[in-house]
Amino acid sequence: MAGAVVENLSNRKLIVLISFLLICLLVCFLLGGLVAPAPSNVQSVLATKCYDNSQNKSKFFYVRPNGGCDKIDDLHGPEAEERHITDKNVVFAFQLPIPRGGIELDYSRWMQNLIGILQIDVTFFKEWELMEPRVPVTIDARLGYRNKGDPEDEWKEYATSTESRTMDCSPPERDGYLYNCSLLPLFELGALHHDYYLLNLRFPVIYENNRGLGPVSDLWLVVINQNGGFTKVWLSLKTIFFPMVVGVMIWFWRRVQLLARQPTLLESMLLALGVALSTLNLPLEYLTLSFEMPFMLLLGDMKQGIFYSMLLSFWLVFAGEHLMDDNERKGLRGYWKQLSCVGVGCLSMFIFDMCERGIQLRNPFYSIWANEIGTQIALSFVIIAGIAAGVYFLFLSYIIYRVFRNISAKRQALPAMASARRHFYEGVIYRFKFLMLATLLCAAMTVVGFILGQVSEGKWKWDEDINLEYTSAFFTGVYGMWNVYILALLCLYSPSHKRWPSESAGQDETNEEIEFTPLPTEPSELSSLTAMIKKTATD
Amino acid sequence: MKPQLEMKKNQELTTDSEQFPRRDQREQQQQQCQRRVADDAADSSSFSSPLTCSSSSSSFASYSLSLSCWTMMILLLIFNAPLPASSSTAIGNWMNLGVQGYEVWRNPQLYMVGAQPLCTQIPGLSPGQAKLCQLYQDHMSSVGRGARAGIAECQWQFRYRRWNCSTVEDSTVFGPVLQIGSREAAFAHSIAAAGVVHSISRACREGQLSSCGCSRALRPKNLNQEWIWGGCGDNIEYGYKFTQGFVDVREREKNYKRGSREQGRSLMNLHNNEAGRRAVIKKARVTCKCHGVSGSCSLVTCWQQLASFREIGDFMKDKYDGATEVRVNKRGRLQVKNAQYNLPTANDLVYLDESPDYCLRNKTIGSFGTYGRPCNRTSAGMDGCNLMCCGRGYNTLKTTVKERCKCKFHWCCHVECKTCIKTVDVHTCK
Repeated sequence: MAGAVVENLSNRKLIVLISFLLICLLVCFLLGGLVAPAPSNVQSVLATKCYDNSQNKSKFFYVRPNGGCDKIDDLHGPEAEERHITDKNVVFAFQLPIPRGGIELDYSRWMQNLIGILQIDVTFFKEWELMEPRVPVTIDARLGYRNKGDPEDEWKEYATSTESRTMDCSPPERDGYLYNCSLLPLFELGALHHDYYLLNLRFPVIYENNRGLGPVSDLWLVVINQNGGFTKVWLSLKTIFFPMVVGVMIWFWRRVQLLARQPTLLESMLLALGVALSTLNLPLEYLTLSFEMPFMLLLGDMKQGIFYSMLLSFWLVFAGEHLMDDNERKGLRGYWKQLSCVGVGCLSMFIFDMCERGIQLRNPFYSIWANEIGTQIALSFVIIAGIAAGVYFLFLSYIIYRVFRNISAKRQALPAMASARRHFYEGVIYRFKFLMLATLLCAAMTVVGFILGQVSEGKWKWDEDINLEYTSAFFTGVYGMWNVYILALLCLYSPSHKRWPSESAGQDETNEEIEFTPLPTEPSELSSLTAMIKKTATD
Repeated sequence: MKPQLEMKKNQELTTDSEQFPRRDQREQQQQQCQRRVADDAADSSSFSSPLTCSSSSSSFASYSLSLSCWTMMILLLIFNAPLPASSSTAIGNWMNLGVQGYEVWRNPQLYMVGAQPLCTQIPGLSPGQAKLCQLYQDHMSSVGRGARAGIAECQWQFRYRRWNCSTVEDSTVFGPVLQIGSREAAFAHSIAAAGVVHSISRACREGQLSSCGCSRALRPKNLNQEWIWGGCGDNIEYGYKFTQGFVDVREREKNYKRGSREQGRSLMNLHNNEAGRRAVIKKARVTCKCHGVSGSCSLVTCWQQLASFREIGDFMKDKYDGATEVRVNKRGRLQVKNAQYNLPTANDLVYLDESPDYCLRNKTIGSFGTYGRPCNRTSAGMDGCNLMCCGRGYNTLKTTVKERCKCKFHWCCHVECKTCIKTVDVHTCK
């Protein structure tokens, strides 16, 4: 019977393969740490307060070049009183990106996406009336764009919307300080297709809207975009891994096809995992360089979701197929309970994502967190996903526990066997455990890396002497790690052809040994490990 | 004999936990700045003849005017905007020009065009600053704004003290009082430097100053490539660097005799300027946002949020209260006068001389005295009548005061206040 490569590979070859994969992993990590810049860049943009006396809402107010905006300096000083400024006269203009080094910079399509967060600075004056802790804010937002070569005052409308947000504020201790107010997520652009963007905000007073705002001194827009360099490194990783994984997948499936038997469940799962990884690897981002694809954020989330649900399902099946008890499982149906956990979790995350990023395709200013009902819906989906994940991990750890218990139980039977065979089986168990360990190691490394990243809080706490971009290294490292992991699985778990010539001899020998066993008559459908365990059980 | 504790700046800065503005970069920057000034000097004949600060200020030892001259000049030239009421004789001025104030704010260019002679004519700028002024004309309105904010903050912080940061109308701004290397001088220098960092950073973030830096290199060759690859750094850093170049250059362009008083004063100013600049960075808050897959925290981006200038002022006031007295030693370094005290860090203020008591009017030291200043009868602090009036006693006057009170801000944009009338005893120093 044909075993998997992992069982027949000599230790030397195994070590060579593993060290090759580890070097791949190290290269990924270093590529992220030394070559790539930080994954994202941030710009804080201070609003220019423009005076609008035309009340023509279709007009865009721009900051540069001069002339697009009649500036207001102070909203609660004498100037505002003198000019009789009302809510209809004030337009907050943000022109992105801000110029540097004497150059009017523009966004590159390599930068992929743009997130805008609004921060309202409200000054606290002791003698003035205190602002409410929860202030409902209504924003009239208009986003315009312009490209290189367009006339400088010609802005085209990209999106417009009236949005409600709630700002939570707490007063500071001392006079003249700013209220501690929550940030307001304002927009998310899935495609950074144009060169310049212009955001015009108004805070109209309609009924009670915006009346709660205290003495606003400044508005800041914090825009976060992916760094072009990170996209380039990321895309080149994808471009390298995509053909690699596809190639290994084809090689794997051809070997499976060469066998006389039907593919086992584990093999099908491996193939599916490979396919999921390949969709994740597919470097679709190249298309964004020439086409506007605002759905890329959503698509990216979905691809990640599919990959992780595949990975979780695979672990279940992998552990379950090595359970070595006598219950026969028929295909995936045997795992319906556990798999439904994965399904429910992923589905609720998908719905959540669709609610947020799906709607953002139509209105980039939309946020599900902006209103109470939306927040509750979003939270409930996230909680469902969390519960499903928890249940899944309970299932998984239970199965893994049982696998290890069975293995150690079966090990007791090993000394009764002939020494050559015993060594062989011990090796199989060792390699199985080794792979389990690799999985755990991968998962642990991801978690530890993630936690380290959180603790380091971005770049602010790192010494400037260390030029390692930790966050980028974490991302490329984890990405490379799962690629390497699946490549290793595809290689090591593909059917081995080593024993084919001596198959008949081996079969005879085995028959001799297991003469009295009530084992199934189709040994080819079982991996040799399972066969071995069953054999030892009968011994 | 106790070992002398030397205030080696290098040492201090590297032991500083923040490490944000790295010394080597800053020195490099400084050199670049000076080199540029020197380069410009080569093709400008006006530079070769030593320019004095101004005719009015040349009578003072120039080191003590480091801050005052230029701030005042910029104030007068660029803003023509109201100084708080304590600017004794300038009242006529601002009432006239205050009306145009907003116009000046909105169009600083109008007042800066043809600035070739303007920067050199500004009394108060040192030659190096004049050069920088010319190079970075668009920055000057922000510099002025920052200095103004610094002075206003100084006056707010010292409103209940004998020395209340009052200004005079000539280009020395605070009068001769800053000639003394006192705590007050230390505070004034640091708060003005902080004001400039704050205001330059703000202006950069508003996109008003196109030349704000992108990366650590002063002017990277292919900036656009760099921007696409890794984005640009924060603007506070640029504000810091520019201010350092502009404010510190005047201290560095003269050679003083090592260990002289002048050199000590220059070192003191440099140290306090640095403390002020760092205060802005130190008080900036780091805020973060998660934006990973499905909005999870797998990807976090952080940025620095400028604090309100009042917060920076309060911080500097604390530093003023804890300032360390130093003296200059023969090797031309500052050292702590009383070895029992801790070595001040780059965030702390240092001073050379004890402050005068500011009790009586004294034109030569620039004290206005506390005659006629209101005081608080019940307070035991500096604003208490006993301390404020230096034991001379006080007059009490019963008056009714009309005050704006219980204000409410209405969006947008007017402030509605009630008028409170109360009868109070006003105590003024004899």
